[in-house]
Amino acid sequence: MPSPLRPSRNRSSATRVPPFKRTRFWLVCLFFFIWALVIAGRLFWIEVVRHSEFEERAQKQQQRTFEVAPRRGVLYDRNLRELAMTVQVDSIYAVPTEIDNKQAAAQMLSAAVHTDPDDNQTTEDQIAARLAKNNSFAWIARRVTPEVAARVKTLPLKGIYFQKEFQRFYPDNEIAAQVLGYVGIDDNGLGGLEQKFEPQLHGVSGRVYTAMDARRHVTGSSEHEPEPGQNLVLTLDENIQFLAERALDHAMEKTQAANGTIVIQDVHTGQILALAIRPTFNPNLSRHTTPELLRNHAVSDVYEPGSVFKLVTYAAALDQHAVTPDDIVDCQGSVITVAGRVIHDDKGDHFGRLTIHEALEHSSNVGAIKVALKVGQDRFYQYARDFGFGSRTGAELPGETRGLLRPVAKWGPSSIASIAMGQEVGVTPLQMVSMVSTIANGGVYLPPHVLMPGQVDGTAPNQRMAAPKAAPFKPGGDLPNPLPPGAHRVLSTLTAAQMRKMMEGVVLYGTGRSAQLNGYSSGGKTGTAQKIDPATHLYSKTMHVASFAGIAPINNPVIAVAVIMDNPKGAYYGASVSAPVFADVAQQVLEYLGVSHDIDVRTPRAQAKAELSVAEDDAPEHVGDIGALYAAANDLPTDDPWRASSTPPATAVQPGAQPSATASKAGANPGSKQSVAVLSGPQKGAGAQGAQKQPQPLAGEVTISEAKRLRVPSLIGMSVRKVIEQAAASGLEVQISGNGTVREQAPAAGTAVAPGTKIVVRCGR
Amino acid sequence: MAAISTTYFEAGRGFAARATERNNELLAQQSRRRRGVRTPEIYFSKHFDNSRLVKAPDPARVREMRLFSAAITILFSLIMVYGLQHFSAIENGYRVESEKQLRDQLREENRQLRLSEAQLSQPGRIDKMARELGLAEPQPGQVVHSTNHGDASTPALAQVAPPASGVQAQ
Repeated sequence: MPSPLRPSRNRSSATRVPPFKRTRFWLVCLFFFIWALVIAGRLFWIEVVRHSEFEERAQKQQQRTFEVAPRRGVLYDRNLRELAMTVQVDSIYAVPTEIDNKQAAAQMLSAAVHTDPDDNQTTEDQIAARLAKNNSFAWIARRVTPEVAARVKTLPLKGIYFQKEFQRFYPDNEIAAQVLGYVGIDDNGLGGLEQKFEPQLHGVSGRVYTAMDARRHVTGSSEHEPEPGQNLVLTLDENIQFLAERALDHAMEKTQAANGTIVIQDVHTGQILALAIRPTFNPNLSRHTTPELLRNHAVSDVYEPGSVFKLVTYAAALDQHAVTPDDIVDCQGSVITVAGRVIHDDKGDHFGRLTIHEALEHSSNVGAIKVALKVGQDRFYQYARDFGFGSRTGAELPGETRGLLRPVAKWGPSSIASIAMGQEVGVTPLQMVSMVSTIANGGVYLPPHVLMPGQVDGTAPNQRMAAPKAAPFKPGGDLPNPLPPGAHRVLSTLTAAQMRKMMEGVVLYGTGRSAQLNGYSSGGKTGTAQKIDPATHLYSKTMHVASFAGIAPINNPVIAVAVIMDNPKGAYYGASVSAPVFADVAQQVLEYLGVSHDIDVRTPRAQAKAELSVAEDDAPEHVGDIGALYAAANDLPTDDPWRASSTPPATAVQPGAQPSATASKAGANPGSKQSVAVLSGPQKGAGAQGAQKQPQPLAGEVTISEAKRLRVPSLIGMSVRKVIEQAAASGLEVQISGNGTVREQAPAAGTAVAPGTKIVVRCGR
Repeated sequence: MAAISTTYFEAGRGFAARATERNNELLAQQSRRRRGVRTPEIYFSKHFDNSRLVKAPDPARVREMRLFSAAITILFSLIMVYGLQHFSAIENGYRVESEKQLRDQLREENRQLRLSEAQLSQPGRIDKMARELGLAEPQPGQVVHSTNHGDASTPALAQVAPPASGVQAQ
């Protein structure tokens, strides 16, 4: 028996090991190697070479991007009180597939959410229509109040859900509405600063990237947080804005003006403290806003300033040492002829020799013209430009127009006279207040601003992330050093002081007595200008712009205020309409700021005694060359907002008659001198060329025909019915105020007017 | 094995003695079972003395084992620390997320309150309520602003008393 330890050598039980063939082994290895190589190569081709292509296709297939709305920036006033801010509110949506009885649900929902009758998105029919589409999502109501959301939550309905959305709120309602603007349903700015600074306020939307599988299940997501909008601090003071708006409301109620504007500016920095405009709107109810209400009259509307512009005339003359305040000017009995055109002072005025400051106090046109002639038209024009007229101020408000101020080369022979009186020139309220600020601060023009500096001009470091700082208005500051961009010296300090003294004289002794304050000295200038009748394109005898621009206190001015009332009913002079508004506003603002009284405070009894009758100022009869005004409007660049939005400018048709003959005819017939003077067109020089070739009216322009003139009938004592019949028969329009029989009419009976002119009558019993 | 087990009563006897006795018992039992068939059985007790057999010392292996143990311990610790951090991070993430939500909610509440404050303190509303309460605007000169410039030694302008019914304001 073999030993168990020894291997058996029996052939039948031995295991045979096959011989090892090396070549075949390596061949098989090679085969697998090549196969692996092919696979690796293919992997490399797909995952490396075509990586971007497949990634893009996969992203398109799987990735969904959801935008996350950013929070809009806050608008603060200078004391960091919120004027516009965004908070989250509930929006209600439904999943129609989860709702059984859609009609009943629509009825219940509409009863809860339809709070505004003008909202046609939340009516029962609208909601039912959206539910009936049977999609997976349907809006019920967006951005509802907490009360409405609470009501909907109590409804026994399935498939109704809530989602948070951002809503813009304006806590002060109508205050500074035109300045702030409002936002639309998609949180984009519409008008005002909301529109102007839309990129800064809007912020950067966030993104949520989700990957979805074939069954639209989210398999992963990544998020980019939204960047909130930048907060902006305005120069407005909420309380001063309220005071200005309240005073303007009183004035509008009293005068029934078409619109009114008050601008209050800090004379030492150019910052706008208040900008009030009426009529106005509530940005919280943007649905009820119209484009006319959005219009910012302070920067988008121009008006002929009238006598207020005499401040520029006298300032230029004093600065050029052409005159001194005590020099004597001969007003020639309040009549002057300039280039064949006869110009008068106010009716009833027959001034002889006056000092320069008296000529300003009494608003003598003759005095102003003589002073302007001493300056010369080139330098006078330069001063007007230096004061900021004829160019944009650069204030951070949309739709700003340059105003109307033609270059000297386009002036007619009598343009210097017209412009010296504030005619043939169009200014905005913002330009006007900046002009008086220049005089108030010692002669330096400071561009007006609505936004605190360094917020959007890139000068402040990390301006987006910087916390807003309050900058309460403190009276009594100095001019900034260095001066801000755009600032430049216009007058010498002495000239500015002389002008302030003269402006004080206007308020103390002249036409601006209604602008006197109690306990504070003040100075300013009244202005009354005729408006152009849109029907006849001639100066209207019934529509005026009453303005007043002033500063207070005199010796160390704190604020400059411009008040412009457009088309007041009844009394229409700047002295009686705008000057009292200045007094009201300036008094309250100075008291609010705690400015020390610089004159004795009068007791209420003494104050009542001091309220004198208003001296009416410059007459609206002396109108400038309306053709020149239209020419100035035509010369505006096409990108100027005023040109784009206003009625088409008109050109005066040149009659072809000799200018001197026309002018003498104008002098002989004062009643119709306006119409003839307007149509006499350019006189000498460049005017001669204009007289030779008839300008072809361009498309969209209006030509003024001199052919047909009507005499205004006498309507005194007539009943309302007869007045209407008479006016219609005469081809005139009529505007009636009051009841009973006609007591007064304007224009007076016998005045030659163009067909379609509006006659204003006041009735009484 | 029965011989090995020690009862309380046998505690004082040695192992060999117990083994011998046990063997005798077993032998007697086997005799009885055999029932007369007797087969000579010879028992030899052989003592094995394995005390000379000792494990050869292997310091290398001992060191190796110690090293291995240390490595395993460290690895285990690392794994546990990693696990702890991982799950702590997840928990902290949840906590952070809930705190963030709470923070956002409080911020939103703050904004709502600031909005309410701004709406309630708007000048028009305050003015209207003041008038309804019978308040009126102060007349010029009624409000005297006290200024605290300078110390007691600086000369001050002597002034008459403020007007009657003046209101001191600071």
